[in-house]
Amino acid sequence: MKTRFLFPYKYKLIGLIMLVPSAIIGLFIIMTDYQLPFLELNVFSITTQAFGGDNSHWYKNNITDEVVAILFTIGALLAGFSKQKNEDEYITVIRLESLLWATYINYAILILSMLLVFDAGFFTVMIFNMFTVLIIFILRFNYMLYKSYKSLADEK
Amino acid sequence: MKNNIKIERAIKNMTQEDLANKIGVSRQTINAMESNKYVPSTVLALKIAKQFNKSVEEIFILEKGD
Repeated sequence: MKTRFLFPYKYKLIGLIMLVPSAIIGLFIIMTDYQLPFLELNVFSITTQAFGGDNSHWYKNNITDEVVAILFTIGALLAGFSKQKNEDEYITVIRLESLLWATYINYAILILSMLLVFDAGFFTVMIFNMFTVLIIFILRFNYMLYKSYKSLADEK
Repeated sequence: MKNNIKIERAIKNMTQEDLANKIGVSRQTINAMESNKYVPSTVLALKIAKQFNKSVEEIFILEKGD
Protein backbone atom coordinates (compact mmCIF):
# COMPACT_ATOMS: atom_id res chain seq x y z
CA MET A 1 0.00 0.00 0.00
CA LYS A 2 1.19 3.51 -0.78
CA THR A 3 1.55 5.61 2.32
CA ARG A 4 2.19 9.27 2.05
CA PHE A 5 4.08 11.53 4.43
CA LEU A 6 5.88 8.73 6.29
CA PHE A 7 9.61 8.13 6.58
CA PRO A 8 11.10 4.82 5.48
CA TYR A 9 11.16 2.02 8.06
CA LYS A 10 14.90 2.26 8.86
CA TYR A 11 14.47 5.81 10.21
CA LYS A 12 12.47 4.46 13.12
CA LEU A 13 15.60 3.03 14.71
CA ILE A 14 17.59 6.20 13.98
CA GLY A 15 14.78 8.16 15.63
CA LEU A 16 14.85 5.98 18.74
CA ILE A 17 18.64 6.28 18.97
CA MET A 18 18.27 10.08 18.95
CA LEU A 19 15.20 10.12 21.16
CA VAL A 20 16.20 8.03 24.17
CA PRO A 21 19.54 9.68 25.11
CA SER A 22 18.23 13.19 24.45
CA ALA A 23 15.19 12.50 26.65
CA ILE A 24 17.44 11.40 29.52
CA ILE A 25 19.86 14.32 29.05
CA GLY A 26 16.92 16.72 28.63
CA LEU A 27 15.36 15.66 31.92
CA PHE A 28 18.75 16.01 33.59
CA ILE A 29 19.13 19.54 32.17
CA ILE A 30 15.68 20.57 33.38
CA MET A 31 16.41 19.27 36.89
CA THR A 32 19.96 20.63 37.28
CA ASP A 33 20.25 23.50 34.76
CA TYR A 34 23.42 21.82 33.56
CA GLN A 35 25.15 23.39 30.53
CA LEU A 36 28.13 22.21 28.53
CA PRO A 37 30.68 25.06 28.75
CA PHE A 38 31.92 24.71 25.15
CA LEU A 39 28.37 25.30 23.83
CA GLU A 40 28.46 28.90 25.11
CA LEU A 41 28.22 30.75 21.79
CA ASN A 42 27.32 34.02 20.16
CA VAL A 43 24.03 33.24 18.51
CA PHE A 44 21.86 35.04 16.00
CA SER A 45 18.26 35.59 16.94
CA ILE A 46 15.49 36.91 14.69
CA THR A 47 14.12 38.76 17.71
CA THR A 48 16.09 41.27 19.76
CA GLN A 49 16.83 40.49 23.39
CA ALA A 50 13.68 40.78 25.46
CA PHE A 51 15.52 41.65 28.67
CA GLY A 52 18.56 43.87 28.69
CA GLY A 53 17.46 46.76 26.49
CA ASP A 54 19.98 46.05 23.76
CA ASN A 55 18.68 46.07 20.16
CA SER A 56 21.30 43.67 18.85
CA HIS A 57 20.30 40.43 17.12
CA TRP A 58 23.45 38.72 18.40
CA TYR A 59 23.95 37.59 21.91
CA LYS A 60 25.71 35.11 24.07
CA ASN A 61 23.74 31.99 24.83
CA ASN A 62 24.49 28.48 25.93
CA ILE A 63 22.90 26.21 23.34
CA THR A 64 23.01 22.91 25.30
CA ASP A 65 19.25 22.91 25.82
CA GLU A 66 18.56 23.92 22.21
CA VAL A 67 20.70 21.09 20.83
CA VAL A 68 19.06 18.51 23.09
CA ALA A 69 15.56 19.80 22.32
CA ILE A 70 16.16 19.65 18.56
CA LEU A 71 17.65 16.15 18.78
CA PHE A 72 14.67 15.01 20.82
CA THR A 73 12.10 16.56 18.48
CA ILE A 74 13.64 15.13 15.30
CA GLY A 75 14.12 11.77 17.03
CA ALA A 76 10.49 11.70 18.16
CA LEU A 77 9.21 12.66 14.71
CA LEU A 78 11.27 9.90 13.09
CA ALA A 79 10.30 7.31 15.71
CA GLY A 80 6.62 8.15 15.44
CA PHE A 81 6.25 8.77 11.73
CA SER A 82 8.44 6.12 10.14
CA LYS A 83 6.72 3.25 8.42
CA GLN A 84 6.36 0.00 10.32
CA LYS A 85 8.06 -3.00 8.80
CA ASN A 86 4.67 -4.32 7.70
CA GLU A 87 2.93 -0.98 7.19
CA ASP A 88 -0.58 -1.38 5.83
CA GLU A 89 -3.92 0.39 5.98
CA TYR A 90 -4.89 -0.96 9.40
CA ILE A 91 -1.62 0.27 10.92
CA THR A 92 -2.21 3.65 9.27
CA VAL A 93 -5.60 3.82 10.99
CA ILE A 94 -4.03 2.88 14.34
CA ARG A 95 -1.42 5.61 13.81
CA LEU A 96 -3.96 8.33 13.02
CA GLU A 97 -6.24 7.34 15.89
CA SER A 98 -3.28 7.39 18.27
CA LEU A 99 -2.39 10.87 17.07
CA LEU A 100 -5.95 12.09 17.68
CA TRP A 101 -5.98 10.46 21.09
CA ALA A 102 -2.60 11.99 21.99
CA THR A 103 -3.81 15.45 20.97
CA TYR A 104 -6.86 15.17 23.23
CA ILE A 105 -4.85 13.89 26.21
CA ASN A 106 -2.14 16.49 25.71
CA TYR A 107 -4.56 19.40 25.70
CA ALA A 108 -6.57 17.95 28.57
CA ILE A 109 -3.37 17.97 30.62
CA LEU A 110 -2.59 21.51 29.41
CA ILE A 111 -6.05 22.80 30.39
CA LEU A 112 -5.69 21.22 33.83
CA SER A 113 -2.28 22.87 34.16
CA MET A 114 -3.73 26.25 33.15
CA LEU A 115 -6.19 25.88 36.01
CA LEU A 116 -3.83 24.53 38.61
CA VAL A 117 -0.28 25.72 37.86
CA PHE A 118 0.95 29.31 37.73
CA ASP A 119 4.04 31.48 37.18
CA ALA A 120 7.35 29.63 37.04
CA GLY A 121 5.62 26.28 37.48
CA PHE A 122 3.54 26.94 34.40
CA PHE A 123 6.66 27.82 32.46
CA THR A 124 8.01 24.34 33.28
CA VAL A 125 4.69 22.83 32.15
CA MET A 126 5.06 24.70 28.84
CA ILE A 127 8.55 23.28 28.35
CA PHE A 128 7.21 19.75 28.81
CA ASN A 129 4.16 20.53 26.72
CA MET A 130 6.35 21.18 23.67
CA PHE A 131 7.15 17.46 23.64
CA THR A 132 4.22 15.68 25.27
CA VAL A 133 2.05 15.35 22.13
CA LEU A 134 4.79 13.35 20.47
CA ILE A 135 5.61 11.32 23.59
CA ILE A 136 1.97 10.40 24.28
CA PHE A 137 1.45 9.59 20.59
CA ILE A 138 4.49 7.28 20.40
CA LEU A 139 3.52 5.47 23.61
CA ARG A 140 -0.12 5.02 22.56
CA PHE A 141 0.71 3.97 18.99
CA ASN A 142 3.20 1.35 20.10
CA TYR A 143 0.88 0.10 22.82
CA MET A 144 -1.93 -0.37 20.27
CA LEU A 145 0.46 -2.16 17.90
CA TYR A 146 1.57 -4.37 20.76
CA LYS A 147 -2.06 -5.13 21.62
CA SER A 148 -2.95 -6.04 18.04
CA TYR A 149 0.15 -8.23 17.87
CA LYS A 150 -0.73 -9.83 21.20
CA SER A 151 -4.25 -10.73 20.02
CA LEU A 152 -2.67 -12.87 17.31
CA ALA A 153 -1.40 -15.32 19.91
CA ASP A 154 -4.71 -17.14 20.28
CA GLU A 155 -5.48 -17.25 16.55
CA LYS A 156 -4.17 -19.44 13.81
CA MET B 1 -20.59 -4.77 8.76
CA LYS B 2 -19.76 -8.40 9.25
CA ASN B 3 -17.72 -10.70 7.06
CA ASN B 4 -17.09 -14.34 6.24
CA ILE B 5 -13.32 -14.14 5.95
CA LYS B 6 -12.71 -16.71 8.66
CA ILE B 7 -15.14 -19.18 7.08
CA GLU B 8 -13.77 -18.67 3.58
CA ARG B 9 -10.29 -19.10 4.94
CA ALA B 10 -11.27 -22.38 6.57
CA ILE B 11 -12.81 -23.62 3.31
CA LYS B 12 -9.59 -22.83 1.45
CA ASN B 13 -7.56 -24.19 4.34
CA MET B 14 -5.53 -21.00 4.69
CA THR B 15 -3.98 -19.54 7.81
CA GLN B 16 -4.22 -15.83 8.61
CA GLU B 17 -0.59 -15.60 7.64
CA ASP B 18 -1.22 -17.19 4.20
CA LEU B 19 -4.01 -14.78 3.42
CA ALA B 20 -2.06 -11.80 4.74
CA ASN B 21 0.91 -12.63 2.52
CA LYS B 22 -1.27 -13.19 -0.55
CA ILE B 23 -2.93 -9.80 -0.35
CA GLY B 24 0.03 -7.90 1.04
CA VAL B 25 -1.14 -6.82 4.50
CA SER B 26 -0.05 -7.65 8.04
CA ARG B 27 -1.53 -10.58 9.94
CA GLN B 28 -2.90 -8.09 12.46
CA THR B 29 -5.12 -6.64 9.75
CA ILE B 30 -6.67 -10.02 8.90
CA ASN B 31 -7.17 -10.72 12.58
CA ALA B 32 -8.77 -7.30 13.20
CA MET B 33 -11.17 -7.79 10.27
CA GLU B 34 -12.18 -11.27 11.41
CA SER B 35 -12.94 -9.97 14.88
CA ASN B 36 -14.92 -7.06 13.37
CA LYS B 37 -12.54 -4.46 14.78
CA TYR B 38 -11.56 -3.11 11.40
CA VAL B 39 -13.50 -2.31 8.24
CA PRO B 40 -11.16 -2.66 5.26
CA SER B 41 -10.78 -0.19 2.43
CA THR B 42 -12.55 -0.93 -0.85
CA VAL B 43 -9.24 -1.97 -2.41
CA LEU B 44 -8.57 -4.49 0.32
CA ALA B 45 -12.16 -5.82 0.25
CA LEU B 46 -11.85 -6.39 -3.51
CA LYS B 47 -8.51 -8.13 -3.07
CA ILE B 48 -9.94 -10.47 -0.43
CA ALA B 49 -12.98 -11.32 -2.56
CA LYS B 50 -10.73 -12.01 -5.53
CA GLN B 51 -8.59 -14.29 -3.41
CA PHE B 52 -11.63 -16.42 -2.58
CA ASN B 53 -13.09 -16.18 -6.12
CA LYS B 54 -16.24 -14.61 -4.81
CA SER B 55 -17.98 -11.26 -5.14
CA VAL B 56 -17.45 -8.68 -2.43
CA GLU B 57 -21.08 -8.99 -1.29
CA GLU B 58 -20.60 -12.69 -0.58
CA ILE B 59 -17.76 -11.95 1.83
CA PHE B 60 -18.85 -8.63 3.37
CA ILE B 61 -22.40 -8.16 4.59
CA LEU B 62 -23.99 -4.92 5.77
CA GLU B 63 -25.65 -5.01 9.15
CA LYS B 64 -28.47 -2.96 10.65
CA GLY B 65 -27.11 0.41 11.64
CA ASP B 66 -24.45 0.58 8.93
